[in-house]
Amino acid sequence: MGIQYTMPKLAMAMNEGTINEWLVNHGDKVEKGQQIMNVETEKVSYECESPEAGYLCIVVPEGETVPCDTLIAHFCESEDEVAALMASEPANDHSANAQDAAAAPVVAEPPAATATTSAVAPAPAGAVPARAAGERIKASPLAKKMARDNNLNLNLIAGTGPGGRIIKCDIEEALVRGVQQAAAAVPQGGSIEKVRIPLKGMRKTIADRMMQSLQTTAQLSSNWESDITDLLATRKKFVAREQQLGTKVSVNAFIIKAICYAIKQVPITNACREGDDIVIYDNVNMGIAIAMPGTTEYDSGLMVAVLHNVERKGLVEIDLEMKALINRVRNGEATPEDLSGSTITLSSTAGIAPPGLSTTPVLNLPNAALVGPSTPVEKPVVHNGEIVQRTMMPMSFTFDHCLLDGEPAARFMTALHEALENPELMLA
Amino acid sequence: MNMALSSAITLTKEQMVELFTNLVRASHYDKMMYRRMMQGKLIGFYHPAEGAIAPGVGACTFLNKDDNLNPHHRGHGITHMISKGIDVSSFLAEHTGKDSGCCLGRSAWHFSYPDHKVYQQSGFIGHNFAPSVGWGWAAKRRNQGQVVMNCSGDGSYGEGRAHESLLMCQNWKLPVIFFCENNGMAIFASAEEMHPTEDISSLAQGYGMPAVILDGQDVFAVAEVALAAIDRARKGKGPSFIECKTMRYNEHDIGTPDLKGWEERSEEEHAEMRKREPVALATERVLADGILTQAEIDGIHEAALSEIEGVEAFADNSEIAKPTEEELLAAVFAD
Amino acid sequence: MRTITLIDAIKEAYQEELRRDEDVFMVGQDIRGGIFPHTKGLVEEFGADRIVDTPIAESGMYGVALGAAQEGLRPIVDFMFGGFSYVTFSECSVTTGQYHFLHGSQRPLPITMTAGVGTGQRLANDHAMSIHGTFAHHPGIKVAMPSTPYDAKGMFKAAIRDNNPVMIPWHMGIMMLKGEVPEEEYVVPLGVADVKREGSDVTVLANSLQLQNALKVADKLEKEGISCEVIDPRSFVPFDLDTVLKSLEKTNRLVVVDEDWESGSFANTVSAKVMEHGFDLLDAPVTRVTLPDMPVPGGYMEDYIAPNVNKIEAAIRSVLARMAA
Repeated sequence: MGIQYTMPKLAMAMNEGTINEWLVNHGDKVEKGQQIMNVETEKVSYECESPEAGYLCIVVPEGETVPCDTLIAHFCESEDEVAALMASEPANDHSANAQDAAAAPVVAEPPAATATTSAVAPAPAGAVPARAAGERIKASPLAKKMARDNNLNLNLIAGTGPGGRIIKCDIEEALVRGVQQAAAAVPQGGSIEKVRIPLKGMRKTIADRMMQSLQTTAQLSSNWESDITDLLATRKKFVAREQQLGTKVSVNAFIIKAICYAIKQVPITNACREGDDIVIYDNVNMGIAIAMPGTTEYDSGLMVAVLHNVERKGLVEIDLEMKALINRVRNGEATPEDLSGSTITLSSTAGIAPPGLSTTPVLNLPNAALVGPSTPVEKPVVHNGEIVQRTMMPMSFTFDHCLLDGEPAARFMTALHEALENPELMLA
Repeated sequence: MNMALSSAITLTKEQMVELFTNLVRASHYDKMMYRRMMQGKLIGFYHPAEGAIAPGVGACTFLNKDDNLNPHHRGHGITHMISKGIDVSSFLAEHTGKDSGCCLGRSAWHFSYPDHKVYQQSGFIGHNFAPSVGWGWAAKRRNQGQVVMNCSGDGSYGEGRAHESLLMCQNWKLPVIFFCENNGMAIFASAEEMHPTEDISSLAQGYGMPAVILDGQDVFAVAEVALAAIDRARKGKGPSFIECKTMRYNEHDIGTPDLKGWEERSEEEHAEMRKREPVALATERVLADGILTQAEIDGIHEAALSEIEGVEAFADNSEIAKPTEEELLAAVFAD
Repeated sequence: MRTITLIDAIKEAYQEELRRDEDVFMVGQDIRGGIFPHTKGLVEEFGADRIVDTPIAESGMYGVALGAAQEGLRPIVDFMFGGFSYVTFSECSVTTGQYHFLHGSQRPLPITMTAGVGTGQRLANDHAMSIHGTFAHHPGIKVAMPSTPYDAKGMFKAAIRDNNPVMIPWHMGIMMLKGEVPEEEYVVPLGVADVKREGSDVTVLANSLQLQNALKVADKLEKEGISCEVIDPRSFVPFDLDTVLKSLEKTNRLVVVDEDWESGSFANTVSAKVMEHGFDLLDAPVTRVTLPDMPVPGGYMEDYIAPNVNKIEAAIRSVLARMAA
């Protein structure tokens, strides 16, 4: 910002002065002591010498009368600064003086660019402000509160206060505009925004991780069906002993046990990519995809929590821990350990997807593999040479072909399939 | 020096007994405060009065309840206040931060007994001079014969306000007694070094105020002159200046070194000072004049110690004042 | 209703209170002759024991008041010019402010202090400085200043009747300002601000001469459609913050005008309080118009250095300023 030049008090009794003439042009370089302005007061005119050197940015044009001490120009260090100042400096509006309307504007800008100090100035058009990345948004405390109370994103609001500060009228205008837009859109049949969800927080994290997973692996999914009729019958016996066991053992607990069996057969499926290494883990930390609520009633979220060391645990223990883990995550009480360290992930859509759904879930980096069961379906199948009704669970297996190939993948799937169809294997 | 004040008064036996009693009490109070300070049982600081108690006793013993008193800060005003008949239990409570303190525990070591016309204490030496003018002015206006006993030390007469006070009190003939207890020392500054004349009372001459110089170790001599000055003031004859030459046996305040200038006061000086110890002198006198027997003297000492025991018990059995911030804020203004 | 000058309004307050209560008296220097019109003639009615002149001995002079107040009388101390109070500063700030509180709330100290203050006569610093900010800083002393003849009479009466120390200077720049003052008895309570002009776009807090300046600016800006709510705090201690906050709920913008040096000024106190208690009400920074941190110059410089209508107007415009689209 340049050095301010205010209307000088040239006489004891002088209260205001009229700028008869600027003796230099706006943007000219002036020297200290150079005559730059002719001022009149009480019928006496004075030739004023410039008190500073610099590029003159004229704020009050010729013909205007202003009180002493009012800003009339700036002395800037460069022409660029002059231009920048003109874009941001509020000029005094002395439109009360009818003569001023006839005075030619000194600045070659469209009239609309002249700012006003009137409290009822017309609101600017609602363009999204161009702000540099990382630029701090300036807003008055009142404006911030109003934005919070009305769920407005300050990023999307232009500020008309000094220095581009968002102030109360800008918020009020944004609210009116929002309503106006909605009202105007309906008759035209255009799109009516229901809600606008910014890609921030959990949503952004999910988005980034999904992209990363798909872009940094050669992942593919394979699908098959496993007959879980016997597994369910076995489970029924566990469920009957709910009181004794302390939990109603879930199907997922069985699936986890089955996965552990399959991992024992094909260890490379329990691995993570770390830099340029494939690290195959001895213990199984089961990632569990958990559906979470989103930021509004319309969207959803997702978190992967981790059950540690499941390879050593019994069904009941797995079931209890899994339920406790899910609870913690949903209540926002998850510990760092709860959310990290998975070696393989289970992402089930069983119960929420249509029966028999075939899925292709995305890998949870840095895991090499992911198992994705979905909703079982009653089907007629060939069983012991006869066509009977059996409960078939659709299964999918996603793996990173960078780390393991189709042959071990197929062996894993077969082992998993075997354990699901023959529960005694997973209990061994 | 206008000596017109002295020799008109001769003390009665009763008056001498009263003086002696107050002197003994003052001595024991001072020792109690010194002891408690050393034991960490006092808040703030203590300026010991040993060696300098006779002037206060002499000045205050015969004041009326409605006479104004500004006690000298040495001894924290106790010598002066007990001589005027004020029960200082609540002052010790104040000095120990208790809610039963005379200032509700707020002031550490300030005293205020407005019912006894002891209004204020302040850390600014010389703070007594400005209001003394006002007390004297109000007393004169009321015209009921009240006087103002304005006690302070040699150092306080450096303050400009002391001179304003002398000027205005003499100019208006206010009933104010400028009672200067000259022990020759401020903190480390000696009057010898800091005052241009040997006697502080020479100031009074400049204002046309009658002045007297006394042996401040002799409580009876002090009392005689004080009575004369009080009588003069009551009769509307205006102010007077009494300078008591006294001594400060200890350091300015406990914990501060006992320096004169920047050097320790010598053992010789201390020994010399103790040759004229006020209680010893007064005891000698009352025995010699047959005013009191030794048994009576012992009784007075015992009574003093017992009195002090009661004062200490009151303070020590009271609760520490712990008002909330809100309570204190509400007390900034009256009403 | 009759109109009288501010200085005459103060004189009436003195006369009425002196008549009402025998204990009220005045002490100062040359108040019997009356340097200013408001003490002239009082000695003839009330006598030299109640209208007391002293030598040029501020401590002794103040001591008359201090000692008398402790004795239960109700003194008014006139320092003549505000800066002269500093000659006896320890008595009238520390000793006075702490008296009631530090001595365990035993006795009040009903002293009224006053003096002429302020710019406008081009007399330079020692005669033009304001003192309300300094006294407002010291706890135990109420501080107030009137801006109109009506307020002057009512506030001086309130101050004299208050049992606490009150410093109530009066601004020499509005000494001859005329205003309506009722004949009937009335008192203007201390600690209550006054909305002198209602408005909706900006709150302007100003006092004494600056209050009058602010009203002039408000009149001018009204023609441009700018509506100023002008509030007179009247008292600095206790300060009526609620009235200001209530106004901000409407206007969301505050200009504080304080004819005092910027640093350590009461304007700073108000700004901080408003920021703390009314943060979400602010649509623009609290903007102050104060004396710059320099000894008040005499000569013609005073005209444009001190707060004036131009500076007030510029401040109002700055809080309302908006940019181009």
